[in-house]
Amino acid sequence: MSRRTQENIVAVIVLSIFIGVIVVSMDFGPRARMIPLPLAIFGIILTLVQLVWQNLRSTDELQMDMISVSKPALAPETEAAPVQPARDKSSNWKREAAAYGIVAVLLALVLLVGPIPAIFLFTAGYFLLSHQYSWKAGLIYTALFTASIYLLFGVALGMQPYHGLLAPLIDSFG
Amino acid sequence: MLEAITSGLAALLTPQSLLFLFLGVVYGLVIGILPGLGGVVAMALLLPFTYGFETAATLALLLGAHIATIWGDSVTSILFSVPGSAKGLALCFDGYPMTKQGQATRALAASATGALMGGIIGAIFLALCIPLIRPVILALGPSEYLMMALWGLTVIATFSDGSLMKGLIASLLGVLAAFIGTDVVTATPRFTFGSEFLMDGISFPVAMIGLFAVSEMMKLAIKGTPIVDRSLVKEVSTVWQGVTDAFKHWWLVVRSSLLGLWIGVLPGVGATVAGLAAYAQAVQTSPTPERFGKGAVEGVIAPDATMGANEGGGLMTTLAFGIPGGESMAILLVAFIGLGVVPGPDMMTKHLDLVFSMVWIIVLANVLVTLIGLAIIPALARLPGLHANLMVPMVLSVCFIGAYATRARIEDVVVAAAFGVLGYLMDKYHYSRANFVIGMVLATMIERNLHISLSLYGNDFLLQRPIALALLIFVLFTAVLPFIRNWRHGRARKTL
Repeated sequence: MSRRTQENIVAVIVLSIFIGVIVVSMDFGPRARMIPLPLAIFGIILTLVQLVWQNLRSTDELQMDMISVSKPALAPETEAAPVQPARDKSSNWKREAAAYGIVAVLLALVLLVGPIPAIFLFTAGYFLLSHQYSWKAGLIYTALFTASIYLLFGVALGMQPYHGLLAPLIDSFG
Repeated sequence: MLEAITSGLAALLTPQSLLFLFLGVVYGLVIGILPGLGGVVAMALLLPFTYGFETAATLALLLGAHIATIWGDSVTSILFSVPGSAKGLALCFDGYPMTKQGQATRALAASATGALMGGIIGAIFLALCIPLIRPVILALGPSEYLMMALWGLTVIATFSDGSLMKGLIASLLGVLAAFIGTDVVTATPRFTFGSEFLMDGISFPVAMIGLFAVSEMMKLAIKGTPIVDRSLVKEVSTVWQGVTDAFKHWWLVVRSSLLGLWIGVLPGVGATVAGLAAYAQAVQTSPTPERFGKGAVEGVIAPDATMGANEGGGLMTTLAFGIPGGESMAILLVAFIGLGVVPGPDMMTKHLDLVFSMVWIIVLANVLVTLIGLAIIPALARLPGLHANLMVPMVLSVCFIGAYATRARIEDVVVAAAFGVLGYLMDKYHYSRANFVIGMVLATMIERNLHISLSLYGNDFLLQRPIALALLIFVLFTAVLPFIRNWRHGRARKTL
């Protein structure tokens, strides 16, 4: 998928958010919608201008904008600082999907077993799968890290415990 | 007054007070570095420990912790582009690029020294300005605050890391995100879709954790290498360089400190706006604005000096009028009441020694934070060199537990994850995350002050409030300026 198509999809999603805001705001009283409504209309105008703008410009110019004129190459330079090996597009997609997966797995673990056990499982699993450390070293680091998190959040800050969605199931076995 | 200054210092020079100050500072540094837990959380957690001790010692503990969180916030912004709280946002713009260029030590040292200088300037002006500031504060009303919030939105042009249009769209989305929850004016549930959790709105620290910390870890997981690969980019800077940078830009420090003090005085504006406004003025007044966003040390010094001075301003209104300048000052107000101290005009007459004790606490806490900071900077600067396989699981874990700890609601973890994905996509397609956050910060302030202005003065409130009208003209000017500059640059490019 070309960069332009991706940008257009994002712009359309943003446009639909603003339209959604208008539709939902119509159910509010006049004072409650006094600010969201005009802002959403302004947002629609801006997004339409952005859509037209990005489709009229050449692909090279897609990233060119006001700020890159006044502050030349701001985004490219900050991004380009570390030298990265060139990867093909499919590899990038895989890595991106893996990043979404990492967040999803940790979220699922937190919801299922609660934050502290989730941290232990997630960190240990990550170390194991990434082969960053031997399994023994990984387990020791994980245990130390989880213990310090528990001491800080659970003991020192007195965080209320959350036992997870699986807690009733585990209790039934106990 | 001289007697009050010396007795204020004497009250602080007891072993208990000094110990509490040290403990507060160390605790504040730790809390400040953790994502999502800023000065408000630090002070709130300390409140139960404030009873039964000397007044000066208790205030040293609270204020020391609060001041230390400010620099703690800056550390993660500079090293990982992950603001510990909203205050540290402006530090990401130039601090993080400096880290990537192997100048983390310099950036952290400049940040610590800038904060120290700002804190001291703020404390001095707090002491001098208390009698003078009262008429100024009383002259400002909701209409003027509304204009100042709008000004905050117009300065977004400075922070747009994508197109200006996308920057504006991002800030509008941020404003709308802040409207999720029960409307503060009409008590109407807005955009909650029947969810009880959403009635309380999106927690701001949780959104910040997602937008910056989670999304940065996603980027790091994709990259698969450390933030700074030490085999390619060596740490080339020194602590001394950063310290001298702050002194070299002394005029910027003074300007930023006065701006921070002024914003601190305004109730409800807060250090987030102060840091962003300081960054904007640093860019606008620099002879080389093109260096900003790419690792200009001034972009680190200005926000830190402002945030250091901001506390002095916030304390001024809290003490003199009992009006807290922000959430942390509101907690301090609670502590005052617990200690039997009633803020108001009496503070400036009967309890002037206590006021000066607080001025001294600000100075000493800032000195202590800077000394500890300068000592640990070399160790901190090594953190970005840690491998992604170590950073990603650990930081993500802290982010998620930090999100949960904010309100002890498991739904906040889901919100943090959702905002993480949103932040990643915004970054990928150059919709500025900073603008989104600015929109979120200013939304409530804009809405509340607009409603109050309309109720108090009617539809033509601008005509009845000349200061607000003058501020509106200023806002329009600053809004149009980037477009004019853009048009001129475009013409210049075409002629070339």
